[in-house]
Amino acid sequence: MKSFIIKTTFFIIIVALFFLLVLSKADGYSDPFYMRFTTPKQNNLILGTSRSAQSLQPSIINNLLQKSFYNYSFTVVHSPYGPTYLNSIKKKLNPSTKNGIFIVTVDPWAISSNTLNPNDSLNFLENKLCLANTSLVNIKPNFKYLLQNLKGKYYTILTANRGSMYLHNDGWLEVSIPMDSISIKDRLDTKIKDYRSNSLPFYNFSTTRLKYLEKTIDLLKKHGKVYVVRLPVHPEIYKIDQELIPDLNEKLFPITGIADGYLDMTNENHLYQYTDGNHLHKESGKLVSIKIAEWIKNTSNTQ
Amino acid sequence: MLFNSIDFAIFLPIVFILYWFVTKKNLKLQNILIVAASYLFYGWWDWRFLSLILFSTIVDYSVGIGLLKQESPAKRKILLWTSILVNLGFLGFFKYYNFFLENFINTFSLLGSEIKANSLNIILPVGISFYTFQTLSYSIDVYKRKLEPTKDFIAFSAFVSFFPQLVAGPIERATHLLPQFYKKRTFDYSKSVDGMRQILWGLFKKIVIADNCAKYANLIFNNSADYYGSSLALGALFFTFQIYGDFSGYSDIAIGTSRLFGFDLMRNFNFPYFSRDIAEFWRRWHISLSTWFRDYLYIPLGGSRGGTWMKVRNTFIIFIVSGFWHGANWTFIVWGALNAVYFLPLLLTNKNRNNMETVALGKMFPSLNEIGSILITFGLTVFAWIFFRAENMSHAIQYISDMFKHPGSFFLFSVYWRYKLILFLIILFVIFEWLGRGHQFAISHLGIKWNLLVRWSVYIIIALTILLFSGAEQTFIYFQF
Repeated sequence: MKSFIIKTTFFIIIVALFFLLVLSKADGYSDPFYMRFTTPKQNNLILGTSRSAQSLQPSIINNLLQKSFYNYSFTVVHSPYGPTYLNSIKKKLNPSTKNGIFIVTVDPWAISSNTLNPNDSLNFLENKLCLANTSLVNIKPNFKYLLQNLKGKYYTILTANRGSMYLHNDGWLEVSIPMDSISIKDRLDTKIKDYRSNSLPFYNFSTTRLKYLEKTIDLLKKHGKVYVVRLPVHPEIYKIDQELIPDLNEKLFPITGIADGYLDMTNENHLYQYTDGNHLHKESGKLVSIKIAEWIKNTSNTQ
Repeated sequence: MLFNSIDFAIFLPIVFILYWFVTKKNLKLQNILIVAASYLFYGWWDWRFLSLILFSTIVDYSVGIGLLKQESPAKRKILLWTSILVNLGFLGFFKYYNFFLENFINTFSLLGSEIKANSLNIILPVGISFYTFQTLSYSIDVYKRKLEPTKDFIAFSAFVSFFPQLVAGPIERATHLLPQFYKKRTFDYSKSVDGMRQILWGLFKKIVIADNCAKYANLIFNNSADYYGSSLALGALFFTFQIYGDFSGYSDIAIGTSRLFGFDLMRNFNFPYFSRDIAEFWRRWHISLSTWFRDYLYIPLGGSRGGTWMKVRNTFIIFIVSGFWHGANWTFIVWGALNAVYFLPLLLTNKNRNNMETVALGKMFPSLNEIGSILITFGLTVFAWIFFRAENMSHAIQYISDMFKHPGSFFLFSVYWRYKLILFLIILFVIFEWLGRGHQFAISHLGIKWNLLVRWSVYIIIALTILLFSGAEQTFIYFQF
């Protein structure tokens, strides 16, 4: 009996140690969010949804603004503005930051909700997702995140496709997919179909989310300057955006007033290349990152 | 409580320690612990249905005591029918009420009469088909005087509710399991180690094979209109391995867990996908149910004695009832009938007992003839599973017709490449199963003569693989039956 218990316990410990060892190997290929919960608290943040996560490249902005930016954007499902995202931002933000720069990207989806009542914050979808259940956002390896959010697919740490998607240490999610015209059109058509049938009919503008966007900016203002940006999207996706909230700029007006600047780049939609209409391709993302950095530089110089 | 959950991982060692360290010296106390643990295990899902198990236990215990005292054949028969009616009554109400009602209404509608009746929103108690059959076997065996009825209510309660096999079998016979509750159990090291090995393999089957196959099988079956040809064939293949991994995995965990407590449960699966004909398949698949039907239905009906018509009738009855046991849906009945159709030619030509031994026993590879037989039997089985998995009959028929719509797609390598990981796991699994087919379970004797370090490394790799695929905690298919 004694031998059985000792051997079984020993076996379980060895297996658990190997398991933790595998988990500790998780990197930017394993999961599109994980690395964001493993880096230290930050002084300069880029916030928003996947449009921002895949487009804005901190390394480009760092060079121009001489700061160290961190892209803490996720997806429209995980990080629309609301209590969950605000709490997570509080955790990621270095509380001693005094003169930080914060790029807050907005789009109609980030201040809308697909709940029956769009202001019912208790039932927001993100309440049950990783930003809500990850209490520590600056620990590596972050076992709690991995155990809770990679359930049923821990093996992907070993088998992840090391090609199409990579989350950099600065939070930029690099997407490398074929950019021939046929592939782009296929993805655009799929995205439009998806938005029209699965998103647009169910999403509505949420005053609660708008209020939380304001709270987010208020928080960040205590730690530095806040610049609100609306990123470019493919003209076809823009049409859908406009159907959701036709007067986004008007709705944002009181909020952008408290920020240090507002840049709406949707008048440049046609200038860039998109992977699927919704997300800028990395080369275009680089150009947009430069433009935003230069705009911030100019705006801060004139203030 | 699911075997593949954290809850069970905490529950099992606690019960194990209490069993061997606290209650070891007192058999009655040990049995009380088993009953308490079993009721906790079951109540974890829904405590309300504990009353059903308790009621069933009291009825069958009382029937047993009644049969002990009663000599009059007529009164003994009444007691037996009391047990049958109570047990099948529960089963009929919870499992089949709505099915019969709907079919009754539909039949009358066809005859031109409109009947209005409300179906009930009935929750099916987990495992009802299993413990009902187990308690029935007790009453029938006592009635037939094959078994001395027990006067020990605690031992009988433990027999009915024994947690490792309560919700999905193996369906134990009272003659086999009940006496084990009367005897003092002693801890057996090698039996326990073997039990742990069987649990490990059961978890591998469930978490790595079944749950991963389930992902794709569900995707393909639930959206079958979007697929055709090879994708639908793969969907059926994934379900074939899902149901085997799921159910035989459960049985392995149940048998392994029982061994930790000093109990031996009957074997439930014996590498059925290596069968060379359908008769062999049915001797190797869900053995506890097949033998239950054989002993309590097929043989009393006359079995394969009598004329051809009798054989045909009994074969169809047993397969259709077996199908219907799985669920109140025509798909299960057709699945059962289809297996009867597969089985009948073997029975009528007296070839149903041709393949009694394990295929290619003592050899590494089967002969070409054996390979052909295995593949044909496997193909027939995969085809029948489509009915078992489909939502309804029209879904099954549409699925099959779409599967043969574009035969060219069967040669598209890209379709298979899309599922490369799960196909790789299935191939690996089949190799392990083939190598261990001569034993109780695939890894029962794996590396038994190897150096300890190598053997442990293999077990660690298996356990690590289970953990790497774990977390999704999918329920077991057979809980719904």
